[in-house]
This record gives sequence, C-alpha cells and structure tokens, in this order.
Amino acid sequence: MLILVISNLKMLARNRQATFWAIFFPLLLVVAFGLFDINGIGSGNMTVVDLDGGPRAKLLLQALEQVEILELELPESKSGEDPEFEAIRKVSEGDLDYLVVIPQGFEDAEPAAEGQGPTTVRLVYDSRDQQRNQLVDALVRGLVSDTQPLDNPLPTSQIVATQIFEVPDVDYFDEVLMGLIGLGIMTNSIISIAVRVSTFRNQSILKRLLVTPLPIWKYFAGEIIAHLVLAAIQVAIFLAVGIFAFGASVHGNVGWIFVIALLGTVVFLNIGFILSAWARSPAAASGMGNAVALPMMFFAGAFFSTTTLPWVLPQAALVLPLTPMLEALRDVAIDSAPLWETWPQLGALGIWVAVTAFIASRVFRFG
Amino acid sequence: MKEIVTDQAVRVEGLVKQFDSLTAVDGVSFSVERGEIFGILGPNGAGKTTTLEIIEGLLKPNQGSVSVLGLDVLKSPNNVKARIGVQLQSSAYHDYLTLREILTLLGSFYPKRVAPDKLLEQVGLSDKANSRVNQLSGGQKQRFTVAASLVNDPELVILDEPTTGLDPQARRNLWALVQEIHQRGVTVVMTTHYMEEAEALCQRLAIMDHGRLVTVDTPRNLINKLDAAYTVKLMVANPLTEAQVASLNGGVEVVQAAEGNAYLLRMKNSPKALGTLLEEINRSDISLEHLEVTPVTLEDVFLELTGNELRD
Repeated sequence: MLILVISNLKMLARNRQATFWAIFFPLLLVVAFGLFDINGIGSGNMTVVDLDGGPRAKLLLQALEQVEILELELPESKSGEDPEFEAIRKVSEGDLDYLVVIPQGFEDAEPAAEGQGPTTVRLVYDSRDQQRNQLVDALVRGLVSDTQPLDNPLPTSQIVATQIFEVPDVDYFDEVLMGLIGLGIMTNSIISIAVRVSTFRNQSILKRLLVTPLPIWKYFAGEIIAHLVLAAIQVAIFLAVGIFAFGASVHGNVGWIFVIALLGTVVFLNIGFILSAWARSPAAASGMGNAVALPMMFFAGAFFSTTTLPWVLPQAALVLPLTPMLEALRDVAIDSAPLWETWPQLGALGIWVAVTAFIASRVFRFG
Repeated sequence: MKEIVTDQAVRVEGLVKQFDSLTAVDGVSFSVERGEIFGILGPNGAGKTTTLEIIEGLLKPNQGSVSVLGLDVLKSPNNVKARIGVQLQSSAYHDYLTLREILTLLGSFYPKRVAPDKLLEQVGLSDKANSRVNQLSGGQKQRFTVAASLVNDPELVILDEPTTGLDPQARRNLWALVQEIHQRGVTVVMTTHYMEEAEALCQRLAIMDHGRLVTVDTPRNLINKLDAAYTVKLMVANPLTEAQVASLNGGVEVVQAAEGNAYLLRMKNSPKALGTLLEEINRSDISLEHLEVTPVTLEDVFLELTGNELRD
C-alpha cells in the first residue's frame, strides 16, 4: 500500500507538464492578483478638500503631492454635492483611503486657547491599514506644522484632528486567495484523476493491475491518498506565496484550512473518477475536466460574488460542491471561525463525497 | 456442481463466452499439464485472448468451468492470481516509473515476490533498471513484460502473443527466454499466430478458429495426421483445365487453386511421387513457371483444419 502511494506520488511528480499546470498555473493567478493588490504600503489614495484656498493651503497641497506613498486626487466637483461630505462617505465605505480637509481660515489661524479650534485641519481615514495609517498621520501632522509661521506655531495637537472610520478589514486578496486554493485543488484533482485513469485504461495498465491479487479498493485508496498529499502541498504553496510574498492574512486556524481543502479534494477526485468512466481518451478526459471545473470556478464565486448573477444562477451556485468549500475556507480564513462553525458547509461537502463516491463506484470501468 | 480435483496446470471445460450477439468462445475444453509449454494457435478473432482472460480471472464465462493449479478460478480468483503470472496482449506500463520501480510496485501486490534486479537480469535488462518503458526497443519492451509476469515467482505463466510485432532477431531472443522459464519448471501457456513459433516452442498445441477448439495435439502429431510429407507449389502460365488437374491426381491432392495460376499440391512421403508429378506435367503440356517443394508445416495443418490461412 505504501509502495503504491509512493509510486503514485513519483509518477505525479515526474509528470512535470501536468504538475506545472496543476500548481503553477493557479499560482500565476495568485501572483497576478497579488500584484494588483493596491492595499500594500506605498499606494494609498488621498483627497484634499481645500475650503480655504489661501497660499498656505496651496503650500500644504504641494507638499502632500510630493509624498510618494500617496496618490492625490482632487475632489470631483459635482454640482449640488458637498465635496467634503461626499469624500467622507467614500472613506466610510472603504473607497477612499485618506481625506484631508483644510478649513476656511487656515491662512491666518490663531492658536486656540484649548483643544481643537475651528481652523484645525482634519484627517479622515479608515481602520484597515494600521501601519500605513500611522505613517500618513505622522506625515500630515509634520507637513501641516511646516506650513505654520515660525514665530507663532500652533501646537501639533491643535492643528490636525484625526477621524477614523471602522471599516472591516476584508482584503479582496484574502478572499481571492481562498478562491484560488479552491480553484487549484478542484482543477488539479478533477483533471489529474480523469486523465490518469483514462490513460491507464487506454494503455491496459488498469487491466494489468486486475490480473494481480491487488484488491480494487487499494487501487482507489492509493490514487486518493497520493492526490491528497499533492493537494496538501498545493495548499501549502498557495498559502505561503499569498502570505509571504503578497501579504495576505489568514485570521483563522491554518490547520482547518487544510482539513476543509482535503475534504473538498475527495469530492473532486470522485468527480474525476466519474468523468474518466465516460472519457474515451486522455485528451477527452482533460477537456471534460475543464468543462466541469471552469464554469464551477465562476459560479461558485472563486473570484467574484455570485449575488450579481442573473435569474436562478445564484441558487444554482449553492448546489455546486465548490461553493460550500469556498464558504468554509473563507469563514475560517477571514472570519476566524473554528472548524465546527462551518458544519453546514462540511455537511454539504460530506454529502457530495457520499454521492460522488456512489456514482463513481457505479460507473467506473477498468477495460 | 462437479468438484474438480486435479493437479493439472489448467483445465477448462465447456467454456462459452458471449459478448452481446457475438460468441467469442464457443464450448472450449482442454487441459494443460504442469511443466509444459502449451500453445494456443489461431487467427485474430479466434477467441484465444478471451479464453486466456477467462483463465486469468479477468472475464467470467457464460458457461463452463475453469480450474488453474487445482483451484476454481471462479470461486477463488485471488488465490489463482497470486500464483500465476500474466502478460497481457498490448499492455503498457506506467510512463513515469523506471523498470525497477514498476517491478517493485507490481511485486508489492503479491505475498511472494522476486527481487526486481534479479528479474531484470533474467531477461537481460539489468542495464536498463533505471530507464523508463518508453525508452526501450520493441524487443526489450516485450522482454520486460515477460519479466513483469514473473514478479511473483509464478507456477504458471500466461503469455498473450508475446512476439507479435517483433523483428526475427528479437523474436528468437524471446523464444530463448520462454524456453529458459520453462526449464525452471514453470508451465507456460501462450498464444501466437506464428506457425514456426508454435512449432519451435510448444510441446502441445490447441488450434482455435471462430471461438471453437479445432484440435489439440503435439506439433509432430498434427503434421503426421495430414498424411502428407511435401507441399508442392506450382505456378503455371495458363490456368489448368479440369482434365489437366485430373491428370495430376496420382497420389497427389490439389488443396487449393487460389490466386490465378498458383496451385498448392500435397504429396505423400514417396520419392517416386515427385518424379511422377514432374513427368505428368511434361506430358500434359503444362508450361511451368515456378515450382516449389517444401516439407509440410503447421501452416498446412492449419489450412487443412480450418480452411483458412492464418489471417494476420
């Protein structure tokens, strides 16, 4: 049994082309999505609403423009809308990272007797990127005090007031990373099994195994265990690249992520066995695998929310096996849910395992 | 249910196997003694492979009984599988494993196993232990599949057309290998559609055609049964008239008047008969273009028994 599993792993490892597509293609997607990530330090957008318009305000604006980690946007001046109100709304919704409001009378401000005066610059941001927030906060305070007359500076505590909006720290990349893990495991499991089995059948290797006393269940167990090991490696690589190269955060228990991913793997392996029964050639098996995997990738919400889908499709997505797998992964990874809180999803996956195993055992053929 | 108690290597009785409307095996019975090389000869589609697959436990017969090494294949297929070695027709092996790894893998399925390196040495592939199957020549590949059928040190080896598609040199190498296995006391059952192969290797032969067993005997007996020693092939300029054919008929039998002007005659072992034949040809004004005299071979036996040439 051990020799069987090891042999299977050797074959999988040596089939370099297939391994490339299995691991590196979804990994390329991780890299692509990782590169598009705009939440890292060095790229925050800022709007400045200048209610004063004096030379000092202009000076501050110029200084802010020089800051490399900020992309300065001027407020869109739509008629009838208060630009300040509009910008605050954007910050609260997470669409804008920073807002600086330069108040009227900033030009000739006098120190207020105590606390915040009417001429205080307001800095508004959300709670997501604390590291960058600290940096920008300090920067803005510094720049504002630079604009103060040397002879009569205001204390820093008075010239800048900070307002922070609590925005839940849902990084799109974190969600996509779970989607990519699901996608990678699904395509690899379905296609690898379907292609391997149909290759083995076409070459009469399955028949060759049948003339040995090897019990049939051991053959299936050998394939499934080898692919589970492969899937675990895949998840580890995805998580490592996502977290260490692109700063993704996994809030929940990483061990649970493996448990959920491997449970999903069993479903997809079973689907692969089922497809292999219909495929007359390895090429057909590969095509069938893609035909099953790709629509599932979109409908189960690997990258996009499925709620925008028309008609019954959001409901249809609920019955796909990838959907509960991704939900469970995200519950654990993003909402730090413990494994037992994902029991509805695990239950759904369990039903999928049972149903697909039953169908596979009915349709599988050796010759 | 009749209990089969036998020490024969293989015993099949009244085997019938139907695929949909096709009857691939139609009432076949024979037995193979331990220690012999038993050949099953027949054209493609004769039912040879189906018969073997029933013996190997891959297929269940619609009717009949099979026992291998004294065990009922239908009742205890795994016990049989553990003690026999099988080389399937056109079976390939894993692309991504080395020869040694494949033999290790196959060996792991059996309670009793032979070291892979020893097997490779036996078939002369020691230097290829770390190669893959697709790096082997046709002959090496075939020798490897024989080695793979020996991983469990079997008492009976079943080889399905082991030399099909091989060049003459590689074929002879494989014959030597089969004889070597046989000399170690292993019973060999093999199919072939090469007459000279059956003649060279097999102690006894079963001839199959259209799913039926035509006859079982030693190659020599089969030839002797024909009651002829020579085959004469005549090529003449013009087709012979019936009178001319009749005039040749003195101890001569016209077997076949196929393909235009070629005639196949069969003669008893008598030096005189050949002379008579030639005189006859001279006298009857037959313009002879080509004359070939060959000893009777299994090819002729096959022709006689089935009315067919071995279809390739």
